[in-house]
Parts: sequence; C-alpha cells; structure tokens
Amino acid sequence: MAEETREGFEPNIVAFLCNWCSYAGADLAGTSRIQYPSNVRVIRVMCTGRVNPLFVMNALQQGADGVLVSGCHPGDCHYMQGNYYARRRFTLMRNFLEYLGVDPARVRMSWVSASEGSKWKEVIEEVVEGVKAVGPMDQFKRRQLNW
Amino acid sequence: MVDNAKLKDVAKEVISREDVRLLIGYRPGTYGFRARPAFVENSDQVDELIFSPACVSNLSSYLTLEEKTPLPRGVEPDLRKVAVMVKGCDSRALVQQLVEKAYDREHILVLGIPCRGVVDMAKVENRFPGVISGEIAMEGDNLVFSFDGKEETVPKEELLAEKCKRCRYPTPLISDLLLDDEVERFADDDYSDITAMEGKSTEEKWAFWEEQFSRCIRCYSCRNVCPMCYCEDCVLDRLKPVWARRSVDISENTVYHISRAYHLAGRCIQCGECERVCPVDIPLMLLNRKFYRDVEELYDYEPGIKVEEKPLLSTFSVDDKEDFIL
Amino acid sequence: MAEKVLKKEKVGEALKELSKFRLFAPSKSNGTILYKQIEDPSDACLDFGNTTVPAKKIVFPQTETLFRFMLGNPELKEKNVEEEGTTVVFGIRPCDARAMGIVDNLFSWDYQDPYYLKRRELTTLVGLACIQPPSINCFCTSVGGEPFSEENLDVLLVDLGEMYLFKAITEKGEKLKTTLGSQLDEAPSDAVKKSGELADKANVQIKRTIDTKGIPEKLPTLWENELWKRVSAACLGCGICTYLCPTCHCFDIQDEVEGAEGRRARMWDSCMFREYTLHASGHNPRPTRRERTRNRINHKYSYFPSKFQVIACVGCGRCINLCPVNIDILEILGQVVDA
Repeated sequence: MAEETREGFEPNIVAFLCNWCSYAGADLAGTSRIQYPSNVRVIRVMCTGRVNPLFVMNALQQGADGVLVSGCHPGDCHYMQGNYYARRRFTLMRNFLEYLGVDPARVRMSWVSASEGSKWKEVIEEVVEGVKAVGPMDQFKRRQLNW
Repeated sequence: MVDNAKLKDVAKEVISREDVRLLIGYRPGTYGFRARPAFVENSDQVDELIFSPACVSNLSSYLTLEEKTPLPRGVEPDLRKVAVMVKGCDSRALVQQLVEKAYDREHILVLGIPCRGVVDMAKVENRFPGVISGEIAMEGDNLVFSFDGKEETVPKEELLAEKCKRCRYPTPLISDLLLDDEVERFADDDYSDITAMEGKSTEEKWAFWEEQFSRCIRCYSCRNVCPMCYCEDCVLDRLKPVWARRSVDISENTVYHISRAYHLAGRCIQCGECERVCPVDIPLMLLNRKFYRDVEELYDYEPGIKVEEKPLLSTFSVDDKEDFIL
Repeated sequence: MAEKVLKKEKVGEALKELSKFRLFAPSKSNGTILYKQIEDPSDACLDFGNTTVPAKKIVFPQTETLFRFMLGNPELKEKNVEEEGTTVVFGIRPCDARAMGIVDNLFSWDYQDPYYLKRRELTTLVGLACIQPPSINCFCTSVGGEPFSEENLDVLLVDLGEMYLFKAITEKGEKLKTTLGSQLDEAPSDAVKKSGELADKANVQIKRTIDTKGIPEKLPTLWENELWKRVSAACLGCGICTYLCPTCHCFDIQDEVEGAEGRRARMWDSCMFREYTLHASGHNPRPTRRERTRNRINHKYSYFPSKFQVIACVGCGRCINLCPVNIDILEILGQVVDA
C-alpha cells in the first residue's frame, strides 16, 4: 500500500458488541460524553459467543477495514460461558488470517464491561490507530462489480 | 503388508454376517496403477478386493456420504452395519466422526489396516508415464511396480504421499478387526512447511495465497471428499443468507477457502484427501495444518485420537491464552 | 499456395505480435497448466499435455455478468461483448476446439445466446495437434475426433521438431496468417508429408477406445438398469467431471447486489450437485448420485445426440484423469454396451 493512499485514510471498523457488557459500555461512553473516533459501526449481538467467524469475513468482504469483537470480561458473561467459546474461536481465526497475509490488526477482540466507558474509548482508539497503520483492506474485499 | 488372500477371506466372512449390509474396501482401478473404492454387498464380489500402496482414498468419507431416499410406507430402514476398511489416518476420521456423534458406533464395523504408507499417484504417473495397467506392492522400504511384464523397484521415500512422511498413527486407532500386525510409528511431524510459511512477510503471504486461490474453480471436491465435511446442507451452498457467493473471483474464493479450513479447525485429521483431489493443485493441507499445529500448541489438542474426547470448539478452558485481547 | 511454418525461436515474437489482441495460451501455474491471458510471451508454455481447465472458459467464462442495474434507475446496462475485442486462443488442443463446435449447437438452438455467440465470432482458434496423446485416457478417435483434427479450428499447428507447420484452415486463419506475416517462413518441401506421417502415428497411439455406435439408441432402454448404482457408488458428487468437461455447458443465473448497485450474472453449474435439481419444496427429482451420474452419461450420449446428431463428448479424458475416485466414462460405456 503506497503511503499517499494512507494519508487521510479513515478506516471503517465494524464492531460486534455483546448486549450485556460492551454495548452498555459503549453507551456509557456516549452518555458520559467521552469523545472517541467515529470510525466504528456497532452491531449489537446478544453475546460474543453468537459471533460467527463468517460475520467477520463477510464484514471484511463488504468493505470493513477492521473488525472488533467485544464482550464481557471472562467470568462475567451473562450466559456464563459464551465469551470463553468466542475467545477460542477468534484466537484461531486471527492466527489464520495472519497466516494468509491479512494483518492481525484488522481483527481485534476486547473485554469491555458496562461500567468501562473510558476503556471503550481506549479500545477504539487503539483499534483505529492499528488499522490506520496497515491501510485499507485490499486482500479479499469484494471489488467493484466488474463486467 | 496386508496379505490380499487373507483380506479376501476376512471380507468374505464379514459380508456373510447377518448384521452387515455393506463392506467398503478397495479394488483395482481402470487404468495405470490406480485403485478405487469398492462396495461389496455379497460374497461373490469379494474377489476383486485388494489393498496396496495405491489405495489412497479415505473410505470413511462414504459413511456420511450415503444419500437415502424416503422409504415407501411400511418399509423398514436397513439398519445393519456398514463394514469399512481404514488405514491409520482414515481411522482417525472415524474417531472424529464418533466424537461428533455423526452416527452410532454399533452401525459400523471397522476393518483396520496397519499401513506403511501409500503413494502419491501424481508422482507415480510422472515416474511411469503411459502405463495402461500395473500394480504396486510394498516390500520393506521399497515400492515394487509391476507393469508390461516387468518389475521396477523404487525406494518408498521417493514416491510416498507427503502425508505419509509425517504420519504419526500408522496403525488404526479404532478397529474391530486388525488385518495385519501393528506398525510402529515410523515418522513424525515437524511442521517445517507451516513454519516456513509463517516466516514470510504479510505481503509475501497474501501474494502466495492470492495466486493459489485465484486458480480455484469451486468444484467443491475438497469439501465433498473430506470425511469431516458431512453437513447435509453446507453453509456455503446456502442461498439465504449467502455467505460465499457462487461467482468465482478472488474474494469469494478466499472466503470459501477460509470457511472450509476454519470449519476443520480442531477436526481435520490430516488424511490429505482435499489436497489429493484438487484438480488445480491448491496446497490445501498448508491451510489445514496451520490450524492443526495451532490447536496442538495452544490447546494441547489432537483431533481424532479418543472417542470420549469433546470437540475442541465446543469446549474451553478458563486459562486459554488471551494475550491479543484488549 | 505454399505452406508456412512458424519456427520455434520465433514463437515468442509471434505471441508478442498476437498480444495486441486478447490472447490466451497455456501457462504453468504451480505445476498446473491453465489458459491464461498472455501479456508477456514468456508466460506461455507450449510444451504441455492438455490444460486442466478446458478452453471453454474463454468463450463461456465461469462467471459472467449479463447486465448491471442501479437502485432508482430503471435502465439496465447490458454487457457488450464486442468491447472485449478479437480474442486469439493459441495452442488449443483439437478436442477442445471440437467441443466448442458441439456446444455451439446448444447456444444457437432455440435461443441465440448473444454473449456466447458474439464471443465465438470474435475468437480465432489456433490449434496445436497432438503428436502423441496427452494422456493414456485420451479416446478422441472413439467419438469422431482425431489428434490432428482440424474441425472447428482456424489454424492448426503441427510440431515438426524445430518448427510448427502453420496451416490456415478458415478465413479467420488466413487473416491471422497475414497478421503474423513476417514471423512465418516458407515451409520446407517435405513439411506437409512429415505432418501426415505424424498424424498417422498419433492415431495409433490412442490406446483406449470404445465403439460408440448404437450407444445413443441403447441408453434409453437402460434407465432402471443395475449398472447405474454400481458405477456411481463411489461418486463424491463434486463438480470435477462437469466443470472440467469441454462440452458441459450448464449454468445458473444469480443476482448479486452490492450497495445500490447489482448485477445479474451467470455461472457454471453442475448436474452432479445436489442443489442442481433441488426444488423449492424440498423435493429432489434426482435424489441420489445414481440418478445424477445416469443423467451425466445420458446427456452426453443420448439426449444431446438425439437433438443435435452429435455425441457431446470429445474424448479428452479429463473426467477420467481427474476424478478423485476413478469413475471412468469408458468403463461405464463399456457396461452400457455389454448390458
């Protein structure tokens, strides 16, 4: 990726947030008027355990430059274990994407509880910064519909 | 090496049993040195059965591949056993299918074949081009090729399939009848191919895979031949929602290959069938083995070893590594 | 008129000249020979058996946009094949060229397929005769072909060792001959004779044969025969035999939408897939691989000949060579004959 194209590049980040912790955490950041980058598009799911790795791939195909999956801290899952399953799933997924030549900065995971509005801000800042550093997703993003 | 006369005797006995409806084994192919799957329903068909280093297919795929049509009213389904011949690697597919409860243990009868390796047919056909009909046998560490009235001996390392050179389980891990003496482990896996791939830069990696995936014609043979891909309705065939579009381009092909490999994470037992059948030679085992190695390293888990084991991704440990999580 | 030859050292130059068109030639990718659009002549590989994917993909691409549409715009933007310009397929095997002629029947039958036919019109086929059959499963002579068949070709090249005999067959071929002008040389006097000898030699090297006479008439009588179960038992239901068949031409049409824009595209489909005949109700008239295999053979050897008087198989041997479980069309036909 040439340096020029990275200049002024604002990435699209798709975030899958669990209903009980991270979504509430992001909400708290909003109601507390904490400023965080506006690159993130939130999709609420009931639990990180609901996030199928296909969602992540589909997001990357459809124009996301990075994906964040965020849920309750280990032990705090509303469904007791959902985030543990998700953790295994995305550890493997991330390693695998790296292996194919997709920078691991594009697929991130975090634990953000309902009370961690300020952590949410930090997480988003780090994710956006990471994706900005690796530039737009250009590996298997769907191309413009060609003839 | 399994004695073919003994194999036929055992097969005859097995297929004559009241509680066995089908025996899946190998028979000579139609050209060259090939062997192919055989489906034996009565003892007259037993004579064509063989086992040789040409028997590359993983027959455990057929246990989940059978398509059943609805039965007429009043007709009871045939629930008798299916007997299947398996090599060491193939037997692990059975174990993994049982781990996932694909069918009941009592529905199958496992004829185990301790195996000292099978050939890579592409290498064989390169070495002996244009042979109309021939046979392969293994004698010690050599492969003996007989064709056109002559015999040629080749050291087995030269023509063995790659998977056999790193085989950890030559003797079937599950069997009701063992057709030969157990074979000691003769090789191990050092994952050097995976380490080499990981050592490349991000750009190099993608350049490599882009070239590989762009060749894919999406014939789905890698999926269909896989003993672990037995969903009746594959998520990649669905039209609602469409996860991988039917159109063939680098984006959809990549998603297809990621999905296929990911669905085998903690399940692939390294029989190498996907890579063998690929008509455009995509190194699919390089994908599967990455997961295999990661799973072994991170979770100390090897699929297809113990029937009592739980599937990797439907279990967890509180102490799983999470250093990448923010 | 004196025959021309293309000296091997001038092949690069000739390809360079032809690359002003949309030029396809066999190329090696990771050990697999595939047709590739050639910009750099060194990418081409003429020392090959046959390509894994047949040349049909050039005139009948695996995925092809038919038209595009936009949200809020009632007008459709139709694909204009003309824009692709003249296409040259260099080094096509005679069987693949024959196959295109067979598929032409279908695409110009009850409906004149504009995409396919236009592309065919724009395409010049430069064949490369098989000095020796590319595989032991070649059986072109059994289904009306020949290693040196000129059928449907515009130019036939014959490898004479240091040069290719350049034989223009059609008007398109003559035109190509003019285009190549300076790259071609006068043929030595014995070139044509030598080519004839090679052709005779090649014919007898085809080792596997079958007498196909009577098969199209016999197949309908074997509908419920036991043989279908036997020959399809090992089938995995993958698409290798059909996708890689030069005469298979089934396609599916799907709409793909991306944001406010979309396209209608057609893409290869295979009768060996379960979804091919699956009804919305859940009923499947070809419920198992037995029916699907039966359909594949019947389509090639019975339905197609009864409609177009030609067997839809050119004997390239790909389905035999590449079948993961060694299902062999010659064996099946043998059983049909014996049944």
